[in-house]
Amino acid sequence: MPPPRLGLPHLGLGVGLRGAHFPYLLQHRPAVDWFEVISENFMDSRGRPRYVLDQLAEQYPIVLHGVSLSIGSTDPVNIDYLRRLKALADEVGAVWVSDHVCWTGVAGINAHDLLPIPLNEASLRHVVERIRVVQDLLERPLILENPSTYVTFAASTMTEWEFLTQMTEETGCGLLLDVNNVYVSSVNHGFDPAAYIRSVPHDRIVQFHLAGHTDRGTHLIDTHDNHVIDPVWEMYRLAHQLTGGASTLLEWDANIPEFPVVHAEVLKARQYMTREVLQFPPHAREGTWQDFDKGASVPQPATHMVAEAE
Amino acid sequence: MNLPLRPAELGQIQRWMQVVIMHPLGVEAGIDATESRMLMDVDTDQVEGVICRSASQSSIERLNVYANAYFARLREVLESEFPALVHTLGEELFQEFAFGYLQQYPSRSYTLGELSVKFPEYLVNTRPPREAVDDQPDWADFLADLARLERAYSEIFDGPGVEGQALLNADDLRAITLERWPGVRLTPVPCLRLMTFRFAVHEYASSVRRQENPDLPAPSPTWLVVTRRDYVVRRVAVSETEYCALATLVSGGTIADALETAQDRWQGGFDALAIEVQRWFRDWSAAGYFQRAVEADTMTTNEGVGTAARITVDF
Repeated sequence: MPPPRLGLPHLGLGVGLRGAHFPYLLQHRPAVDWFEVISENFMDSRGRPRYVLDQLAEQYPIVLHGVSLSIGSTDPVNIDYLRRLKALADEVGAVWVSDHVCWTGVAGINAHDLLPIPLNEASLRHVVERIRVVQDLLERPLILENPSTYVTFAASTMTEWEFLTQMTEETGCGLLLDVNNVYVSSVNHGFDPAAYIRSVPHDRIVQFHLAGHTDRGTHLIDTHDNHVIDPVWEMYRLAHQLTGGASTLLEWDANIPEFPVVHAEVLKARQYMTREVLQFPPHAREGTWQDFDKGASVPQPATHMVAEAE
Repeated sequence: MNLPLRPAELGQIQRWMQVVIMHPLGVEAGIDATESRMLMDVDTDQVEGVICRSASQSSIERLNVYANAYFARLREVLESEFPALVHTLGEELFQEFAFGYLQQYPSRSYTLGELSVKFPEYLVNTRPPREAVDDQPDWADFLADLARLERAYSEIFDGPGVEGQALLNADDLRAITLERWPGVRLTPVPCLRLMTFRFAVHEYASSVRRQENPDLPAPSPTWLVVTRRDYVVRRVAVSETEYCALATLVSGGTIADALETAQDRWQGGFDALAIEVQRWFRDWSAAGYFQRAVEADTMTTNEGVGTAARITVDF
């Protein structure tokens, strides 16, 4: 039996580092437990983004979260990317490195999206082999996140939680359980999110993600542009109970409010670290905000740093 | 129609899905495209054999989520990187340019920071035929200039800089002896960029960033020095003469070379040039354009250099 969280520390309640908050963070140094940063925004940076990261890394634990590893792609593994990723992880003392169970492009193209893979034995073999390569190169366990998905494949032969379970068993990798993604996918594909959370290997869960999403009526989109909704908080309560707790991080990537609002959102997690009787309301459009901003319903990741110029 | 994929076909379905969601005419056109049909011979009626429908969406509607997201996400990145270009084009026309660009130059990098590398070049290559007979710069030239400036801002902002490092200052310059002065070369900071434009695009771009509503400027040859200080991109418009002298130094020329370049372009008298040069070096050292002065091994005296090189710094 591996130790809980692969022996990695419970960092507490963290926030995703975003450029809009740089001035506030440098000035106020708020009492945040830890920060997660989008790896690709800092791997090549020799400007302000990297400067800010270096400043924060002196005070806060840092976790690297990537969006371009493309572990499920059938293109060759990008060795140059991995070397740069490892260098950044070493330089900022990253507590761990994560990415997504997805592919982002093929034939040399990067769609910059977290595209789903058919969940079957062939995909599993492919992903397992690549995780081993990546872990060897990074010289650390890889932590992989379940993405929000909007399609399922006729070629799939297993559930996502079965896929994740076998993937972790065969590679020793960890899981970043995005509770909002479980909820979004459960509505889009019609499965029980609580069953998903009960079925994933709890001892492999190193981290949780929380975020807001957009209800488009026929489907949900993982937009990271608002508060976490109550049903997702209830899923988080269940996940917390089953795992005994793990590092928890809030992502907010569009319509980003002031930092204290984002920080306050993740601190709400404390209210759900209880053993109250759980009730899971079915997905109901009444009682939850919906269609918050139809113009901004772009699934994450959208991870670009804007230049500061005179 | 059920069309289960064989295990070996993961790459096939990835290539198919990529063609479908990135097709410029939409998912249905993507499914029917020759390229996708060669990868997976399914038409729009058969696509449920590949992508399952949900309780509330057809297979095509589900694929559309990814197709819409692909263009929307990358368009947003381009809009954030080229705010002045968006301002002058308007959102709708900018989106048309962005759409065309993404078709021609899909991202091939792990970072969105390189997405727009060829956007200025794309605008030049797709510009309409020039209407003016007098070769005057037109609106398309303005767009190309503006795109080049905003792309440079991005590259300088996140590229190598010299924050925290000692730079060449006025005292360093004053310490160079008269004999050595002509043969000295100055090492530019890595974030220094010299750019020429047909319009004062820097003023237009700054005005947009201040959330003003600038008018389209008239053509005006512009020589711009762009650099970064304290992690913010800075730009200064200079005269053509100052620009050429600076360019000589940046390209590895000596101070003598730079001053000869300036003298060749200078319209006034020698004394006026001397005063102007004094100002240049004062401004350049204050702005931190150079890291250090390097004395050439083979030139330790001013013998053989032109009169302009005898202008020294005294400020």
